[in-house]
Amino acid sequence: MGDGSVELFVDESLYPLEAVYGASFTFLDRCFVFLDRPQPGRLRVILSAKKLGASPEVLREMVGEFANELLACAWREKITERNRATIEAVTMQAIGGAMGPPSLDDLEDFDFTEEPFEDPLGIAMSWEEKYGKKTAPPAATEGDEE
Amino acid sequence: MRELRFPKELYLGEQVDAALNVFARFGRLERDEDELTWIVRVHAASAAKERRLAGELANYALGATIRARGER
Repeated sequence: MGDGSVELFVDESLYPLEAVYGASFTFLDRCFVFLDRPQPGRLRVILSAKKLGASPEVLREMVGEFANELLACAWREKITERNRATIEAVTMQAIGGAMGPPSLDDLEDFDFTEEPFEDPLGIAMSWEEKYGKKTAPPAATEGDEE
Repeated sequence: MRELRFPKELYLGEQVDAALNVFARFGRLERDEDELTWIVRVHAASAAKERRLAGELANYALGATIRARGER
């Protein structure tokens, strides 16, 4: 610490550069942020208070909050990386659906011989089956009442 | 005078240039470079103004770099 600034050394094998960028971005409005790479695999983050005369407590709090944010960003990065395949699959399906109805050629190539999916609970019902007009029971006649 | 050395592997040159254009009216800025860094020398009326100008310029360059990398 010194000159109203504080340094933090970051091991890139634990915290990827994208996480350091992410944490830095959130601190741009609170302090001056400068990044450096003094040696391969090691980043230096310099945080300087915007106003001169910041106390050591303020600087300690600033660097502590930055470290917390860095950890959160690194974790988010890891989750994103882990779920990338799922996100890509869902996005592809969404884009595929937005491409419009299939053409006649697509329908011609479609394999309709596949078995229908299993429905052990019997919840797959057509709209007509569920909400269609019920056939009214035969009306009671006067003779029946006697 | 205050000298900023932006590592080329962390800061995009065009974004450092963009920061120079934005902050040029607040002081005298010299641009230079060596093999590994973009160098900016900041001259302003007082040491406090130089510190603030250098800090804001560095923040702008970093923010613009992060945003540009995200769009790629």
